[in-house]
Amino acid sequence: MLPKINAALVEKVLVRFIRDEFGKCGCKKGILGLSGGLDSAVTAALAARALGPGNVLGLIMPYGKGFPEDVRDAGNLARRLGIRHKTIDIAAQVDIYFAAHPTRSRVQRGNKMARERMSILYDYSAREDAFILGTSNKTELLIGYGTIHGDMACAINPMGDLYKTQVRELAAHLRLPAAIRRKVPTAGLWPGQTDEGELGLTYEELDDILYGLVEGRRSRREMVEAGHRPAIVARILRMIKNSEFKRKLPPIAKLSPRSVGHDFLYPYDWGK
Amino acid sequence: MKIALAQIVPRLGDVKANVELHLDVLEKARRRKAGLVVFPELGLTGYTLKDLVEEVALDPDSDPRFRKIVSRSKGLSVVVGFVEERPAEKGLFYNAAAFIADGRIVHVHRKVFLPTNGMFEEAKFFAQGRDFRTFEAPFGRAGLLICRDFLHYGASYVHYASGADMIVCISAAPGRGVEGGDAFETSRMWELMGEAVSYFSTAFVLYANRAGSEDGVTFAGGSFAFAPGGRLAARAAAIDPDLLFCRIDLSAVRDARRKWLFKRDEKPEVVWRSLERIVRASED
Repeated sequence: MLPKINAALVEKVLVRFIRDEFGKCGCKKGILGLSGGLDSAVTAALAARALGPGNVLGLIMPYGKGFPEDVRDAGNLARRLGIRHKTIDIAAQVDIYFAAHPTRSRVQRGNKMARERMSILYDYSAREDAFILGTSNKTELLIGYGTIHGDMACAINPMGDLYKTQVRELAAHLRLPAAIRRKVPTAGLWPGQTDEGELGLTYEELDDILYGLVEGRRSRREMVEAGHRPAIVARILRMIKNSEFKRKLPPIAKLSPRSVGHDFLYPYDWGK
Repeated sequence: MKIALAQIVPRLGDVKANVELHLDVLEKARRRKAGLVVFPELGLTGYTLKDLVEEVALDPDSDPRFRKIVSRSKGLSVVVGFVEERPAEKGLFYNAAAFIADGRIVHVHRKVFLPTNGMFEEAKFFAQGRDFRTFEAPFGRAGLLICRDFLHYGASYVHYASGADMIVCISAAPGRGVEGGDAFETSRMWELMGEAVSYFSTAFVLYANRAGSEDGVTFAGGSFAFAPGGRLAARAAAIDPDLLFCRIDLSAVRDARRKWLFKRDEKPEVVWRSLERIVRASED
């Protein structure tokens, strides 16, 4: 069973981490996409505490009029946290592309939208001289439930070692609005999509299985013996393996005695 | 004697800045009349060095930056963590701790146990130390350990067997586990060892960890001092930087050894013969 976190300690570590990383780069401002969902709300709250609310910009980037409640919740959250926010409708740039290159795939359209939001975030990062805060949690990083070079793109990722159910604990500790905490999690790739519907299991069960496999280093057999459904465990293992590429930089073909990605090894914080 | 545990946040790869930081803390400790100041592992360089190891390595006998610290140690003792490269061993980089007293380097310990698993990759970049020796400090016999050395309890035993009144461990221990109290769960592991070693070696145990974060890893802080007999003398802040002062009574070693006769009744020759048999058998 996934143990409960000490949310106050986690808050302290993550606020310090954000402050440290920004401090090392001499960067005062942070920027992130605000979806109206839980993960971006928690990240925004941590960033507001670490950098000061005035130094955080939340970009709300709906596709047309698709998700009015999320847009409203994101705006309310920004006002509540006292952070700056701005709404940019991505419909025009998405529609012009798919008018020329039509597709029936909802996933393809959703991924394209995630990457349009990424490109806007990076452009605003340059305009504002601000670092991008990632909002991916450990659950979605492990099963690859995110768009590579889309919502996964960022400068630092404060919540990447917290499972989704732990993010909920942190959200309660940070006293985030109930409208956001009780919301059904969705990747928002299309209307009506929900994470748990698409995955076919609850986040509680998913996190328990991931915790057993990752922290517990349990085998598939041990997880089944512990009472988890064999087909579910097999599917989760497959998702973890198939998404390893999203958690790595692409392999470089080694030719020289010292190559980037192989034996040219420096810390991320190099020279900061 | 007053001791100071300097739970600092070094700048990764910047020896010059870190020397200044050490000198600042030394000055503060001197004003507070500390007799011993302990800095964390790799305090002069930062921890997550990887290929930077060779750029920050120095010879403590000749490097002018290091000599600055040595020359400012007049009238007190200092433990400093750095990357050592001696002219006689070019290209060999050691994760090292120097004991400096009254303007002189008394002893240098090279880390023996280099963690290389999971998040740790020290043996990829450092040469391995091969000895544990105690030395005569101004306040008594002392032994140095670096971080993981301390978790292999044979290392503390060697210092104990060779008569240490004080075991000083410098550390750059990352925090892991956030389910417990107000500190990382791994902090308990260090303190447990400190308590046990100080109890059964009837010696002082000082542990200086660092604070700050590198590449997403947060160092756990929680430096501490145990007096002989497992008595917690002082504990620094968890996670946050700190400069912890604490007065210790050196006569406590004698008091503890009159009460608990572990040291008198110790049989290192039996341990040694048994170990020799085990090592020989494993070599066959």
